[in-house]
Amino acid sequence: MVHRAMPTVTGMEGRVDVMVTPQFYTLKREELQVRFAHQAQKIAPSLFDGLLETPAKHDYFVYREDESWVFIAYNPKEIAVFLESRGIAPQQVAKLFFAQQAREHFTVPVPLGEKEALAVIGQTVTVVPRAVLHEEQWGTFDETFRPNKGVSFGATGASLLTRTQAFSLAAIFFLFGTIWVAEGWRYGRTNTTLQSKLETYYTTYPSLQSAYTRDSIAAKYRKIDKAERKKREIVGKIAGMLFKGVTLKSFEMDEKSFRAVFEAVDTRTLKRLEGLVKASGIVQKQRKTGTTMTIEGQV
Amino acid sequence: MIWQRYRNELIVAAALLFALSAWFYKHSKRTEMAQSNQQMAKEFSLLKETVSLKKIWGDKQIGRKVDGLKNLVNPSKMVWQKKGRKLHMTLHDLTASEVNRVVTRLLNIPVQVQKLKSEKTGNTYSMEIVCKW
Repeated sequence: MVHRAMPTVTGMEGRVDVMVTPQFYTLKREELQVRFAHQAQKIAPSLFDGLLETPAKHDYFVYREDESWVFIAYNPKEIAVFLESRGIAPQQVAKLFFAQQAREHFTVPVPLGEKEALAVIGQTVTVVPRAVLHEEQWGTFDETFRPNKGVSFGATGASLLTRTQAFSLAAIFFLFGTIWVAEGWRYGRTNTTLQSKLETYYTTYPSLQSAYTRDSIAAKYRKIDKAERKKREIVGKIAGMLFKGVTLKSFEMDEKSFRAVFEAVDTRTLKRLEGLVKASGIVQKQRKTGTTMTIEGQV
Repeated sequence: MIWQRYRNELIVAAALLFALSAWFYKHSKRTEMAQSNQQMAKEFSLLKETVSLKKIWGDKQIGRKVDGLKNLVNPSKMVWQKKGRKLHMTLHDLTASEVNRVVTRLLNIPVQVQKLKSEKTGNTYSMEIVCKW
């Protein structure tokens, strides 16, 4: 039981549950047409409007008592600071209970130190001076006072984040994480269109399934294709050099080189032919003798 | 006790770690997919090229197409020697249009031209063609 007059606790180890007296909370009892605790929890802050000095720093605990809802506003920081001052590290506290929750057990007043006691006055557990009570029998605070429901308190004291903030942030990160995992999984699947096209090709040409064979065939035909296209280009360009007044006297082409001899009717025609030869870009050697021109080049 | 003290921060840190791991997982999968697609596209392009080159230069009908050269000029002007996948053809007393016809037809057949020789003597042309496929 935590109360203002409690002595400092020493050598406490492990986790403990604590019950706080009304010195650490503000209580309101209301008869509301509310069915569920989470609905009551939502309206709790509005019920304490004007009652609390620092409402932003307060948390609320709500439970049902007979036909009414009991609303408790408490300041976790204030409780944590007090616990620390009495030698109890806030993180050692597992559950936080409120004396009001154990109302029915306060059949006789329970002393709090030498000057005060907890007693029920008009359905509310209240701290009263012992001097005003003339009891012959005092109650003892024990395990039977432990309510079923409490507030998880452990991290509140030193934590930079409140429980709600922590869970909201964790939920956001978890949501993004899940989305990214799903995207990653989707990316993990390969391009099925291209894959099926490849498979079709491999089914039609099974010999090309081996990369070595494929490369070797490609290299062989690529070489032939390049050389033969070049030869055909040369023949095409030589044919393009023939016009009225120019005759192809001879032409010879093998796998490495070509040679062509042209005969022009006059030097003017030869000059025009020379221009065409230059423009063709396939000739490495060019020789003129009279109206004859010999050109040579590599395939 | 530390974990009790900073339980909320630890929850957030764990969720953040999960999100970061997921982001890196997604990123690595995306890179992996891009590389795989690139590789596959390259393979597909090479395969397509190989197939089309093989279709042109490895065509089984080339021999039949080469035989078509025989009908372009009068057989008396021609010496035809075809052995397996190789042709040696000599032609003489050809007109310019016949030369043109033979060369055009020859170059339209996917054969490897080893020798193409043409010479004008007077008003006629003689030719020598050696090719294989």
